[in-house]
Amino acid sequence: MNLRRFIILFAVLSASPAGAHRLDEYLQATRLSVDLERVDLEIDLTPGIAIASKVLGWIDTNRDGEISSAEGEAYAREMLRSVVLKVDGWPVPIQLVGASFPEFRDMGLGVGTIRLRAIAKVPAAGSGRHQISFLNTHQSGESVYLVNALVPENPRVHLGEQRRDFAQHGLTLDYTVASDAPSDRGFELLAGLMFAGCWFLRQAHYVTRQRADVK
Amino acid sequence: MKNFASTPLLRPSFILFALVASAAFGFQRPASSPSVANGTVTAKVVESANAFLATLSASEQTKCTFGFTSSQRTGWSNLPSGIFQRNGLRFGDMTARQRDAALRLVASALSREGYQKVTDIMNGDEVLKNRGGGRTGGRQGAPGPGGGVRFGLDEYYIALLGTPSASTPWMIQFGGHHLAINVTVVGANSVMTPSLPAAQPAKYTLNGQTIRPLGRENDKGFALIGALNAAQLKHAVLNYQVKDLVLGPGNDGKVIQPEGILASELDASQQAMLLDVAHEWVGILNDEAANAKMAEIKANLPRTYFAWSGATKNGGLAYYRIQGPTVVIEYAPQQGDLDHIHTIYRDPTNDYGAKLVKP
Repeated sequence: MNLRRFIILFAVLSASPAGAHRLDEYLQATRLSVDLERVDLEIDLTPGIAIASKVLGWIDTNRDGEISSAEGEAYAREMLRSVVLKVDGWPVPIQLVGASFPEFRDMGLGVGTIRLRAIAKVPAAGSGRHQISFLNTHQSGESVYLVNALVPENPRVHLGEQRRDFAQHGLTLDYTVASDAPSDRGFELLAGLMFAGCWFLRQAHYVTRQRADVK
Repeated sequence: MKNFASTPLLRPSFILFALVASAAFGFQRPASSPSVANGTVTAKVVESANAFLATLSASEQTKCTFGFTSSQRTGWSNLPSGIFQRNGLRFGDMTARQRDAALRLVASALSREGYQKVTDIMNGDEVLKNRGGGRTGGRQGAPGPGGGVRFGLDEYYIALLGTPSASTPWMIQFGGHHLAINVTVVGANSVMTPSLPAAQPAKYTLNGQTIRPLGRENDKGFALIGALNAAQLKHAVLNYQVKDLVLGPGNDGKVIQPEGILASELDASQQAMLLDVAHEWVGILNDEAANAKMAEIKANLPRTYFAWSGATKNGGLAYYRIQGPTVVIEYAPQQGDLDHIHTIYRDPTNDYGAKLVKP
């Protein structure tokens, strides 16, 4: 499925309005999902009533009162250019995978939410400590920000300390990746059995020798 | 000004009914061990639901009822009419008898305090309507689909999902601007997550009385943060601003990484205060179900976090969050306005009764 088709499908599936009816703020809420080889980004953008026409102006570049797929995609890509994601200090490219745009009138009322979905493929994280840093500077003059990490679905990924700037433009997130748990457990079990077997054989040998000495 | 005290919706006889009903259900504070739901409440709720349905015509019943698993389940919002189109029966389109029966149904599922909170929120929206809107959040009559933004008592909706039953799952969905109450009933159990009680104005006068629909949520939160020592505050207070709900409407099923201070780092008195804050949301539901839920939250206290952002003196702007394995509560003033509060109550493991409903 190409991106344009995905954008339209996504728009149909997720055209729910925002939770708040905002006035003069552009709310930018990001949720990050961390996995071994990727970071998923959900970015919800809700312009308030007072700045909705300004935001619409950024998107509806031909001023026809509609957001076309091309205009939506162009704005989504531009927005993502304001986002920097680093893993272990190295910038990773962010790829847009979906975007939905609300009805013009909902945006005009301060309740329409633009929903962007993106992923960053990251080098396979080996076991041990890692760090992700996220920074969003999109339209910082009129925006308020939320950024949160979702609890990882992958049981090997454990999130640690989170650090943000006061305005929540950015989040630095420490995390650890556990070594491959099932094979490690298998190895530990095998080692344990071998150890127990050796101990048992040695004890049996010791008892046999003692009995022989008694005789 | 129209308010519940002067309309048939909250006539003295109905208030008396709600009080008697609540007393009959036995209002209690959270128990230390899980209560066993015995089905008494469910029987009353089913009876009230059937009594409400009996007041409706066939076409009204069709408009009001949905399949239990229909998409209507997640079709709730805190937004006003004219921006968000709710389904179900609109109070403004009902007769006095039908509204009475609808409110009796809501009251039968909730506690006395919970029902009072719901009516305070609704009366607040009538106040907002008469003021033409608030400093934040939009104006009455502002352009919107379907005739503009509308506030007030007529703009609340009720819907039933599934068939009222003491054995099979069903749901009551009641809400309007700044209110979304979702009660899923499964046998003897009932669940009120997700729900969104909010308030604008946060303080108003009605019949000479000062009403603060979410005043206790505010005051108890500040009391708790005020009870923490310097070392505890270091963990509890986030060093960044939180200007909205993180898990508001449309965020079903999401679990964020918790932050703040672990309840196990609080002393017994502070833990009791934390539970008391949580009870402001949990206790909206009938006492039988709320007691069971509070026992579950108490059992999970060692894995429950309390996070705070903003002023620590009552009267200032502050956001807070309680997050445990089976509960998420957020309290968030909107856009720097102390007179406009949004909150959310979720259970990431049991929203819409997911744990109780067999697929």
